[in-house]
Amino acid sequence: MASTSGTESTETPISSLSSKEAEKPQIEPLRLPTIEEIRGQDIWNNCAVRSVVSGVLGGGLGFFMGLFFGALDNPLTNPLVQEEMTAKQQFIYTAKQMGKRSISSAKTFALMGLIFSAAECVVEKARAKHDMTNTVVAGCATGGSLSAKGGPKAACVGCAGFATFSVLIEKFLDRHN
Amino acid sequence: MAANNAPTELDKEQIFGMAEKEMEYRVELFNKLTSTCFNKCIDKRYKETELNMGENSCIDRCVSKYWQVTNLIGQLLGSNRPPM
Repeated sequence: MASTSGTESTETPISSLSSKEAEKPQIEPLRLPTIEEIRGQDIWNNCAVRSVVSGVLGGGLGFFMGLFFGALDNPLTNPLVQEEMTAKQQFIYTAKQMGKRSISSAKTFALMGLIFSAAECVVEKARAKHDMTNTVVAGCATGGSLSAKGGPKAACVGCAGFATFSVLIEKFLDRHN
Repeated sequence: MAANNAPTELDKEQIFGMAEKEMEYRVELFNKLTSTCFNKCIDKRYKETELNMGENSCIDRCVSKYWQVTNLIGQLLGSNRPPM
């Protein structure tokens, strides 16, 4: 490095840096992403992939939530049922109830995750901005479509409610800034 | 016509100068493009290391528009029309 004897003031920092590197934390050199890394990250830019993965995750979450809550408040206080069945039959009955509830809950949550993720992805790609507005629109779409069976009023209430819930969750997840 | 067999020193220098200018022009274009699209599209709060989808699509559009503008202006300048 210090081959020429000319400018010593520019050569000494380099030699002193190599001795100081042992003390300071190693600073890694700048590494631009390779084309494989870019392609790997590009999968997450696809709206279909994102919404399907969200749907699957929502389904898993809903399944476990359904199991948990089904086990908690399963009404075994039905007197007719308790008289006729033995312990083993009661257990099988409870397990079936839990299974049905958890599957229906899994379906609801999977649909919720799918619609929310798809709506947010489409809106964000169209607007080309990363904002809270995307979350509001996606929440409204999800809440509205899930409650659409109850009529337009229920759809509006569902839209507003789920949008508020989504914004709160998003703000909670961003609280470290 | 006598010097057409081998490129003269002057020709070589001219070609080299033009190539150098072209290279400088390209580098300048790249730097300006990157700087413009970065300032326009990326939120300076830097909440995460990865580009999110909004920023990604913004950069796509920014680069496309910048390139079109460059080409259009290049054509307008190069068409040798009398100035308006």
